Amino acid sequence: MSVSDGLTPQGSAALRLHRQLAAIWATGPGMQRLAAVNHSVVGLRFMATAFVFFGIGGILGMLTRVQLATPDATFMDPETYNQVFTMHGSMMLFLFAIPMVEGMAIYLTPKILGARDLAFPRLSAYGYWCYLFGGTILTAALVAGVAPNSGWFMYTPLSSNVYTPGINADVWLLGVTFVEISALTLAVELVVSILKLRAPGMSLDRMPIFGWYMLVTALMMVVAFPPLILGSILLETERAFGLPFFDPTRGGDPLLWQHLFWLFGHPDVYIIFLPMAGVLSTMIPVFASRPLIGYRAIVVAIIALAFVSFGIWVHHMFTVGIPHLALAFFSAGTAIVAVPTAVQVFAWLATLAHGRPHWDVPMLYVFGFFVIFVIGGLTGVMLSIVPFDWQVHNTYFVVAHFHYVTAGAAAFPLLAALYYWLPLLTGRAAVHRLSVPAFWLVFVGFNLTFFLMHLVGLLGMPRRIYTYQGYEGWTWLNLLSSVGGFIMTIGFGLVVIDLLAQLRFGRRVRRDPWGAATLEWAMPIPPAPYAFASLPQVTTRADRIAPGALAPSLARGDGYLGFARNGWQETLGVHVVSGAPEQLIVLSRATYLPLFTAFATAAAVLAMLFHFYLGALAMTVLTISLFVSAGQRAGLARDYGPMPIGHGVSVPPHTEAADPPPWLALIWTLVADGTLFTSLVFGTFYLWISAPNWPPAMALEPSRPLALVAVAALALAAAAARGSLRALAGGGAVRGWIGLALLALFAAIATTVALIGGVTPHPRAHALGATAAALLFYVALHAGIGLFFLVSNLLRLGAGFVSPQRTTDLRLTRLWLDYTLWTGAVALGLVLALPGLAAMLEARP
Amino acid sequence: MNAPPFSPQWLWWLAAGFGVWCSALAALYALHGIGCAFAWSAGPLRIGLAALLLAHLTVIGWLWRDLAAANPDPGFGQTGIFLHAVAIWTLMAALATTILTLGPPLLLTICV
Repeated sequence: MSVSDGLTPQGSAALRLHRQLAAIWATGPGMQRLAAVNHSVVGLRFMATAFVFFGIGGILGMLTRVQLATPDATFMDPETYNQVFTMHGSMMLFLFAIPMVEGMAIYLTPKILGARDLAFPRLSAYGYWCYLFGGTILTAALVAGVAPNSGWFMYTPLSSNVYTPGINADVWLLGVTFVEISALTLAVELVVSILKLRAPGMSLDRMPIFGWYMLVTALMMVVAFPPLILGSILLETERAFGLPFFDPTRGGDPLLWQHLFWLFGHPDVYIIFLPMAGVLSTMIPVFASRPLIGYRAIVVAIIALAFVSFGIWVHHMFTVGIPHLALAFFSAGTAIVAVPTAVQVFAWLATLAHGRPHWDVPMLYVFGFFVIFVIGGLTGVMLSIVPFDWQVHNTYFVVAHFHYVTAGAAAFPLLAALYYWLPLLTGRAAVHRLSVPAFWLVFVGFNLTFFLMHLVGLLGMPRRIYTYQGYEGWTWLNLLSSVGGFIMTIGFGLVVIDLLAQLRFGRRVRRDPWGAATLEWAMPIPPAPYAFASLPQVTTRADRIAPGALAPSLARGDGYLGFARNGWQETLGVHVVSGAPEQLIVLSRATYLPLFTAFATAAAVLAMLFHFYLGALAMTVLTISLFVSAGQRAGLARDYGPMPIGHGVSVPPHTEAADPPPWLALIWTLVADGTLFTSLVFGTFYLWISAPNWPPAMALEPSRPLALVAVAALALAAAAARGSLRALAGGGAVRGWIGLALLALFAAIATTVALIGGVTPHPRAHALGATAAALLFYVALHAGIGLFFLVSNLLRLGAGFVSPQRTTDLRLTRLWLDYTLWTGAVALGLVLALPGLAAMLEARP
Repeated sequence: MNAPPFSPQWLWWLAAGFGVWCSALAALYALHGIGCAFAWSAGPLRIGLAALLLAHLTVIGWLWRDLAAANPDPGFGQTGIFLHAVAIWTLMAALATTILTLGPPLLLTICV
């Protein structure tokens, strides 16, 4: 601890405060580590686990290079090769890049924004365990020889039952979905935390640019993951139960999978890039010794990038037969997405050009990033031109391009970030003797490996072939590429040795060794579990502060919340825009609940994998019940009113605030849910106009009265939820209204299930029946989850967690039931409209 | 502390311009897909697409004019000025993006 100057009165005050806060916030020893929920612990676990998967994925990549180094190689048979390259891609994307970004976000965001933790520590821990278990399932499948083998994007019909009858594809669909749940929970957590948990006074215009990048990235994740989650659910449903969403012989369409996958897959590149761009925008001003140029332009650029990156998914599908006019929309969009990217690159270059740059190890990797990312970006612009894309589609040119983009966007800034922030963790900086050669080995090896792939791709070498004959002219390029791969691997090996050596032999550094101007350097090294002993008052741009001068006063408790109270883990909630303190947020303590909930979720996934569907259902119910159980301990069991937070300011606890974190979290969860629902509606219309074998021989004849009863029941439930809130305010019978809502939801579920039972054609016979059943199931599922909300309300009413001042529980239920009503009305309306839509097809010329 | 807080709902302005661009892309892609699936004549389909594009451009232009005409409330301080400027820039960028990505393609052959 840096507060060990305890001989002075100020120092002893700091030490006393440190001990009080550490007793509240610290993770316990031994087995209690499994109960950790602190963002520093969870963030480090994410990053460490991601590195393990990076190592495994890297080894798999090297195996593919060994296989391709020479013609007619017999190092691997085709089936093993398929599993190896599929797992290489899946691991690098789903188990390394995204989780690594998440880990960095979890670890750094509260520290840079001046908060003590994220808004939902237990959710972070649950997300981590889901990630670990999902990744373990995928890795175990690899060891068992049943790993996914259909390529990292699992194109149908190759991944359908007919061509992949084993569990290989199921492992991917269930394992990756499991990891995506983790990503989605963390995305919601980050959005709420960045909007609400900042240092007092940190208005949006004072927020460090890193905060903007993380906010936009998290929002993108909220919207990007649901289409893939839906696609995975539909494909798994097809594989497990025979519902033919992607089977063209029964009214499905394999291209629907491609749309759903790339609606996620393309933004995902930017989900990886933007946090790393945030890292660069944070580091470059430090090494340029001047503030970032173009803060406002960068904010505009990342907003533009976020949107445009969603609107160009079809550029992955230029060869599937879409008319030229539609292709041109996406071709132009793909070219234009380079503009906001270039705005950032020029802002960084301008910052360096107008500053007094000095070199250190992180800047070496920044240099590497510039070279590699610009090459990758330019080949991306080449690929945006449809005729060129047709020429190189499915060749190694594309492999080279996306390695330049993803590695340039992720790996080099990531290594820069590691070297930059490692002194924060360890108090030591890199020893140049090892770091510099390690960089050059990685840089030279990377370019040798992947630049040559452009050439071999232009010579016509297709992706995913497990060998070649040798007459094609690819042999020397492939051999050199493989040599480059080994040089790069040696480089990464040196990086690992260097980082480990730094822990023991690195140069000792004082706080803020780089002369940075952001808040994470205004805390002890390594950071204490409570991050800040007291929270800073921000009065200027929060990336232009003097951490060295600020840190001692924060350690003494001169900022906000510079004391311990009731054994609570306290941080402040602020106004979303202005940063004015609004509420005292009391965070949950360490608990095993996230671990147990993730165990239950993993059990559900495994039961699905082995076709034990009743078990899967039971484990899903258990998972939801554990969430409800977690809710029982959340919040405060009595009214407190405004409470002092320091500086003469008092604010109410979050349980009595108008927009507490759970309220915002549910809103963003519903945005994600709504995206999934919209994707389902899109899928329905897509099959209607594009799929072969429509309309089916047997017409859909949904019962109109039953559908109307279902909508009426949902409306009654939503009205009863409103009634419960009015009763709470007026001292009425809250439980009566909740009981009425329960009955209404049971009625809605019963009628919807009856509608599913009457769907014709049978959901297994034609995609029309399958989509109708999926829409109806969506309604029943949401009504079912509404039951859990209501049960939770009853339990928490009984336990005293709800009062006229503490209405969050009932408001959350009202919001959920409103959402269920509106999506239910749309879904049921669409089901009723489907017969008419199908009939329209008969009139088609 | 800071300037008086203003509504977080105002932040939707930051997404307004590109939200309309998304709507334009989705609407044009959908109309084109439906038109081609039902073998509509090229002329009316192209006019329909152009009308849809024009409607979206009008919306973005209207939003831009509306926001540019309203100076940021001085009571909101630097935060208001910053957000106002960012919102206007995003609207301008969205307008340019809509014109460049969705305009020229309408000159291509319609369903080939």
